[in-house]
Amino acid sequence: MGAGHFDRVGGEMIRVHGLNKEFGTSDNGGGVLALSDIDFEVHDNEFVTIIGPSGCGKTTLLRIIAGLIPYDQGEVAIDGLVVTGPGPERAVVFQNFALMPWADVLGNVTFGLEVRGTPPDECRDKAKDLIKLVGLEGFEKRLPKELSGGMQQRVGLARALAVNPRILLMDEPFGALDEQTRRLLQEQLLRLWEGQRKTVVFVTHSMDEAVMLGDRVMLMTPRPGRVKEMIDVPLQRPRSPQVEKSAAFVEIKEYLWENLRAMQVGES
Amino acid sequence: MKQETVAKAAVQSSTARTVDRLPALRRFTRENAPEVLALLAGAALWEILGWSLGLQWLPPLSKVMEALAQFVRSGVILANVGSSLQGLIVGFGLSLILGLFLGSLMGRYRYVEKALDIYVHALFVCPSIVLAPIFFAIFGLSDAARIAIILSYSMFVIVINTATAIRTVDPSLVEMARSFGCREAQIFIRILLPASLPLVFAGIRLGVGRAVKGMINGEMLIAFVGLGALAQRYGAQFDAAKVFAIAMVVLIIGLVSNALVQMLDKRLTRWAG
Amino acid sequence: MKKRIVLDWGLRLAVFIAAVALWELFVSTSQNFLLPRFTDVANGLFRLLFSEARFWEALYISNQALILGFAISVVIGIPLGLLAGRFHWMDRLLNPYVGVLLTMPVAPMIPIVIIALGLGLAARVFIVVLFAFVFITVNTRAGVRGVEASLIEMAKSFGASEGQIWRRIVIPGAMPAIFAGMRIGLGRSITGMVMVELLLVASGLGRLLLEFSGRMQSDLVFATVLAVIIEALALLAGMQALEKRITRWAPDISIG
Repeated sequence: MGAGHFDRVGGEMIRVHGLNKEFGTSDNGGGVLALSDIDFEVHDNEFVTIIGPSGCGKTTLLRIIAGLIPYDQGEVAIDGLVVTGPGPERAVVFQNFALMPWADVLGNVTFGLEVRGTPPDECRDKAKDLIKLVGLEGFEKRLPKELSGGMQQRVGLARALAVNPRILLMDEPFGALDEQTRRLLQEQLLRLWEGQRKTVVFVTHSMDEAVMLGDRVMLMTPRPGRVKEMIDVPLQRPRSPQVEKSAAFVEIKEYLWENLRAMQVGES
Repeated sequence: MKQETVAKAAVQSSTARTVDRLPALRRFTRENAPEVLALLAGAALWEILGWSLGLQWLPPLSKVMEALAQFVRSGVILANVGSSLQGLIVGFGLSLILGLFLGSLMGRYRYVEKALDIYVHALFVCPSIVLAPIFFAIFGLSDAARIAIILSYSMFVIVINTATAIRTVDPSLVEMARSFGCREAQIFIRILLPASLPLVFAGIRLGVGRAVKGMINGEMLIAFVGLGALAQRYGAQFDAAKVFAIAMVVLIIGLVSNALVQMLDKRLTRWAG
Repeated sequence: MKKRIVLDWGLRLAVFIAAVALWELFVSTSQNFLLPRFTDVANGLFRLLFSEARFWEALYISNQALILGFAISVVIGIPLGLLAGRFHWMDRLLNPYVGVLLTMPVAPMIPIVIIALGLGLAARVFIVVLFAFVFITVNTRAGVRGVEASLIEMAKSFGASEGQIWRRIVIPGAMPAIFAGMRIGLGRSITGMVMVELLLVASGLGRLLLEFSGRMQSDLVFATVLAVIIEALALLAGMQALEKRITRWAPDISIG
């Protein structure tokens, strides 16, 4: 557990220690242990991807960090403060976009700001900047149903960035998109991230994505969910699509697949 | 990107649609030619059979139209439609308020739902007209009885639809709102309310239809005022043309109120798939 | 699990008790001396069921119209719906009339039926049919239309004939909707029967109600109404159970 990590600017942003999470009805007595003894750190400005087979609890882990569900044992701390619920320093990007179908693009992007009581003019200005940043200028008045999947997720991204979080929590954000759209959004995400290096925790089931985007890849095993390994991705930044052909990329990806395949076989 | 041009095209066509409205009317009749023809054919058949068969209960369509015109001219319609509509508005208004309130509670709080569900379901499923004698016994020959009947006809479909609407709001939207720090009240106002609107309106639309039926059924039973009373009176006089005319008036009331609700629905839920 | 079920039924019982308490309060403070207490109604119901032969007689007479009317509605409604679902031109022809019959209240037509058919069984059955058959037709049609085109295509690709497609794909596929239509049609038939009883008052339950209210026996009036409600709920529950059994595989898409 825990390969060596580079010394980065900033200290621990997210620290998870001895985390256990159980699902199950209290009437039954027994429950399902979703996460067991999870232990890892994410540094400031670091991009960490989490990968694992279905049932490894990666989405549950992300939601715990986001403060959306409680945990049973252990400690989850953001910049030293224990997590008790959602907070302004974290923002989530959802797999099925979670856009309000009755609001237009502008309305959706301003949501997080409005909820925190930001004055409407400021909301609108910030939103417009971000809509431009994700390449949706001109679409402010469109409804979600008029947008493609990729565009909808860009709205979700803009909404998350609008509240200026220190940490971006992304739950398989491109999972519902076709491959071509996915690649374009990956490139766009990397470009945006180069612009302002937030701390990112990115859950995925795609090995390409995990290696392409992350500084480190956290490999998880299922039933119960455990951290198997933290793998460094020493590829140069900024990452271009070419990097997929590099030997280092292929090597890390192969390593991931060996482990993941073994987990699948082990199940049956 | 192809997908973006598709989105842009959708935007352009929606603006274009508002420009050509008169040709749209022509297009409507052309597209619905079979239905229109069917109606016209039926009307013609009614007319012919009415004259040729000479049955007391089947007057020709033209006689029915004559009776209708006479109603309008003599002001009979106005008086009775007025009192019928009064009952309808009060009864439906009450069922709207009570129905939305109760439905919201049932949708939001599991305990309320579990406590009331079998009763609401039973009252929804059982033919509302059976309750009429009970209301008659309680309120006598009065407006209150009519209004109670309308209430019993339309309230429960509103309750059930509202409860289902709130209960089936996409949970990921609620989670998203929570992730941005929304508290319970904010989640209710910003997410639950707008998200439940389409289904709530479906319930309201059904409720209006049922309210109109409750109005006329109630009036025919507790027949002292309104269109129902008229229908009973003309029926006793064996004046079929007049009864058909009244049936048409009721039909029109039903169609108009349905159209009104649908217009409101379209405006408020344009965003729904 | 068990605890939850007990709690739920506890809540429902509590609501029932509260409702009865409210009713008693209302009755005791009301000027209307015709309102029966809850116990009076319960007693009345007991009397009706076990010591009034006339009640069962009346029930039998009224249900004649119900059963005959429902049966005829099914016999007319389902084939119409199948045809409308299968043949597009027929659907479009019937469409406006179906729309009218769905939204138009049947009650104003009752005086006309009386002029035409009098006050006997024929009139009563006809009125019940008027109330019910459209809903059966509409749901049947939706069921036929709802059968996935890809299934029919698949059957054709294996060389199935028109008859085979009907028997093995369309009708089984449309079953859930057809049964839903019959359930709704049953509810509408009951409505029709009650309207008939209350408006025509010829024989059966309607006449009984008139008698009881004429003699100021309000407890029996309420008891009769309660009996009708119980019968309605029982019939509909039975229909729904049948529906669930036959269509275990399908989701709920009913109209009405």
